[in-house]
Amino acid sequence: MTPQRFSMTRRAFLAGAVATGAALVVPLRLSAAWAQQAENAGISQAFIRIDTSGQVTFVLPTSEMGQGAHTGQAQILAEELGADWSSIAVEMPTQPAPAYRIPSGQMRSVGSFGIRLWHDPLRRAAAQTREMLTQAAAARLGVEPATLQAENGYIVHADSGETLPFGDLVEDAMALPVPAEPTLRPDGERTLTGRTVARLDAPLKVTGEALFGVDVEREGMLYGAVRLAPVFSADVETFDASSVAEMPGVVAVVRVPSGAVVVADSWWQAKRAADALEITFTQTPADTLSTDDINALLREGLDRTDVPITTLRGDAEATLAADGQVVEAEYSVPFLTHMCMEPINCTAESSEERTELWIGTQGQDVIRMTLERAMQVPAERLFINTTFLGGGFGRKTHGEIAVQAALASRGVGGRPVKVLWAREDDVRQGQYRQTMMCRLRAVLDDGGNITAMHIRLSGPQMGLEYGFDPEERAQATGNLANFDPFSLGGLSDMRYEIPNFVVEHAVVDLPIPLCPWRAISHTYNGFFFESFMDECAAAAGRDPLEFRSSHCPGQTRMLAVLERVAEMSHWSEPAPEGVSRGLAVVESYGSYVAQVVEARADDGDFHVDRVYVAIDCGRAINPGQVEAQMEGSVVDALGAALSQKVTIRDGRAEQSNFHDYALLRIGEAPAVSVDIVEIGSPLGGVGEPGIPPLAPALANALFAATQQRVRHLPLSDHVQG
Amino acid sequence: MTAFTINGRTVDVTAAPNTPLLWVIRDELKLTGTKFGCGVAQCGACTLHVDGEPVRSCVFPLAGAEGRSVTTIEGLSEDGSHPVQQAWVALDVPQCGYCQSGQIMSASALLARNPSPSDTEIDEAMSGNLCRCGTYLRIRAAIHRASEA
Repeated sequence: MTPQRFSMTRRAFLAGAVATGAALVVPLRLSAAWAQQAENAGISQAFIRIDTSGQVTFVLPTSEMGQGAHTGQAQILAEELGADWSSIAVEMPTQPAPAYRIPSGQMRSVGSFGIRLWHDPLRRAAAQTREMLTQAAAARLGVEPATLQAENGYIVHADSGETLPFGDLVEDAMALPVPAEPTLRPDGERTLTGRTVARLDAPLKVTGEALFGVDVEREGMLYGAVRLAPVFSADVETFDASSVAEMPGVVAVVRVPSGAVVVADSWWQAKRAADALEITFTQTPADTLSTDDINALLREGLDRTDVPITTLRGDAEATLAADGQVVEAEYSVPFLTHMCMEPINCTAESSEERTELWIGTQGQDVIRMTLERAMQVPAERLFINTTFLGGGFGRKTHGEIAVQAALASRGVGGRPVKVLWAREDDVRQGQYRQTMMCRLRAVLDDGGNITAMHIRLSGPQMGLEYGFDPEERAQATGNLANFDPFSLGGLSDMRYEIPNFVVEHAVVDLPIPLCPWRAISHTYNGFFFESFMDECAAAAGRDPLEFRSSHCPGQTRMLAVLERVAEMSHWSEPAPEGVSRGLAVVESYGSYVAQVVEARADDGDFHVDRVYVAIDCGRAINPGQVEAQMEGSVVDALGAALSQKVTIRDGRAEQSNFHDYALLRIGEAPAVSVDIVEIGSPLGGVGEPGIPPLAPALANALFAATQQRVRHLPLSDHVQG
Repeated sequence: MTAFTINGRTVDVTAAPNTPLLWVIRDELKLTGTKFGCGVAQCGACTLHVDGEPVRSCVFPLAGAEGRSVTTIEGLSEDGSHPVQQAWVALDVPQCGYCQSGQIMSASALLARNPSPSDTEIDEAMSGNLCRCGTYLRIRAAIHRASEA
């Protein structure tokens, strides 16, 4: 493979291939007639471009941030089209047109949608294109289309041995109508999906050639560093640009929302000046806010009496009044930040007439809306070049950096400016995973079965910011009231069969900005619920696996991953000397994942040796990448559960860099074994579902080892790791 | 002016001598394979070689490079053929890929002085390189694979 085939490389970028396209190209999708037909046929040719040289380019709707979406989506397209895998190219669109949008109506790379959502539309688009090429070839050869096959970039007539390259058929194909109901390849011809194919981007990522946002270079580009309000709700009161005007390299100081961007000839110069800038910020009611205050508010939420029931199964009164053995516990999780290895950045070239951005983003439409709101940039004058993302994890769905970069560019007469946050900005400007508290109460009958459960969640909600009205969502999802999917996912829809079941959410508004964090609410709800299931099993004197299985008798997928992880971990046999095990299973983003953590506890130290993972994500399009996501999720989630927290003091984050917000290091990474369970389930996600079971499985292993129940993350607040 | 060799060619740069080498290499010499992650030698994304030794370039002053030989990911091989790069591709190590330049520079420096490291030696040598995607298991396996190449 040659790097030039990829638009997101330094070389292609410097050569201008992205901006202009190659010469003599007849881009299939740019024909006006085709575009009209495509629109009539719904999403279709937006994803495939074939030029007269035969070059097949896939225009992909999902950003590549490590989850392998580009490779998986290209596998789906190439297979159905009959393209030559070794020569396909991939790129991303520069405008978030409707074809690239997810059901929420936006182009965003979220929700582990890359494969599960796009599989069918991509496959259909490829089949349409294949049929058009086939019809063009049939006319050319004077044979029936049914006698032709598309393979490796050619239309082949097996009987005569004639082969026609795709490129030769492009112009004829463009004159044909787009078939509304294309025939998909039968399963027997699906040979590129369902097997491990090497990542398309791996060769680019071992040579420094892959283009991340931070690597973008433009002619005449300047560099920007930020100085932003340390208290989240504060804004600039005064600043004195002359305080840094004489510093080396400084070109301008540009006011942006909640702060300033210092623009200079190099980023280092900009950063030194930003640190030295004389600037003051407005006072806000949050100036004295602390984690203790926040915890007091959440605790109050646990006791509030005016909270409506969101989810109800069975009888609420019976739930609360049921007789039997009562198990009750309170849990909590802290704020988390994202720590993408690539700090937040954006390069902008912006004038009244045209704004062009280069950014590793998960949220092209969020950026569009943010720029529309903040700077009145109309969508048709905005072009977004999506680069590779050095991690996303939800953080790169937001658009404030694009506003900073566009304003900085306008502040220097439209010259391109690359604005890059330092790591300290990245941590302190947060937008965090919610802090949450939860109280769970279960009633067990004489057989040790849960007859009733009452769950009160207390903490902020996030859905409104994304256009999800909690009352509308409640109606749409069969809940009673106040359903915020970003808070309740993983609780309201849990799969255990508990006859009387109540979930409530005491909403606590906090002046701290929030942002989805890999697996969002499932991270904490999985921890709360699956830890509590273990508590119930222990109270009933039952085995945690048997207890779970007996509470979900009709749940084929849940039972399948539980059974598989039990086999992998030899659950039914005693654990090796000194080793204890913890189990958890969580459904999220359409997949079911069960994990068993094997850990050792000696003298107060606690160490995780191995984690077994069984996932049902439907048919694995690229099993090797499913395994990679599970391995990485275990490491990521273990780091979070062990030590990560953002705490607030005087209205600002107390953490600032990796020394006080640690990721797991290589020597702390456990062995991970992954099995993919294929039982004919619908496609599920893989980027996020590996995260939620880890924390509860870990806490359950700790309990098995020490009888100590840790209900408040991170674990290192309670035990030594 | 500070003169040093980078990936085999000699350069004279005008940046202030206390500028971290990282920013000279990225913003002035336009070699962007070396990444910025933390600025305080906590994450290893900026790792490169100075006279063959792994160095965190985000805290290494330009003046320290005077007269010395600097190698970045772009200079490790011309075409991605270094055994560590090949092992990384063979095992599909990268996910987001942002930290991998630094991981590869740390790994290649390790193998240059210890051609067959144990797991413990790998963990020690690689402990300064963070990866939020959690690719550590494949990194360890790829270093073993490269050591057998």
